[in-house]
Amino acid sequence: MIEWMTLLLCAGILVSAVLAVTLERPVSAVIAAGLTSLFASVTYVFLAAPDVAMTEASIGSGLATVIFLYAINRTRKQDVEPDE
Amino acid sequence: MAEMILNAAMVLIAFAILFGVIRLIKGDTDTDRIIAVDLLTIVSMSVIVLAAHLADRFIYVDVAIVYGLLSFLGVLAVARYLERGL
Repeated sequence: MIEWMTLLLCAGILVSAVLAVTLERPVSAVIAAGLTSLFASVTYVFLAAPDVAMTEASIGSGLATVIFLYAINRTRKQDVEPDE
Repeated sequence: MAEMILNAAMVLIAFAILFGVIRLIKGDTDTDRIIAVDLLTIVSMSVIVLAAHLADRFIYVDVAIVYGLLSFLGVLAVARYLERGL
């Protein structure tokens, strides 16, 4: 039973990683990348590494998403200002 | 009885992950996608608690607590970005 759940989570990692590469809007790609590390950290719990899972959840899914959105926001402002 | 309930919970969690990922793939707007991610975070917490019970190691529940503390952060960042910029 737990093997099937691990396989489902690995399929989720693959699907969200493909989405993170192929989506065109930057915000959607950032969301999909955050979901990739979310699924990866759940898989780490299944593979008996709870400390790695905690670090991956806090940095990969929390901090990286916020920093990416901050960077997108800063560059969007720079792109818009010369046009106006 | 308890075994049956655990198996039913695992099947329901598998369907929840499946439908969340389908919503993420189809998602028309960014709002649909971020709500799908929020749903999958909460489902992941239940997966971790179930794994803690199955593996008989209750240190895993701490990981679920960290998830619960951090799950609002990404959603909050994306929501603020969509509203008026981070």
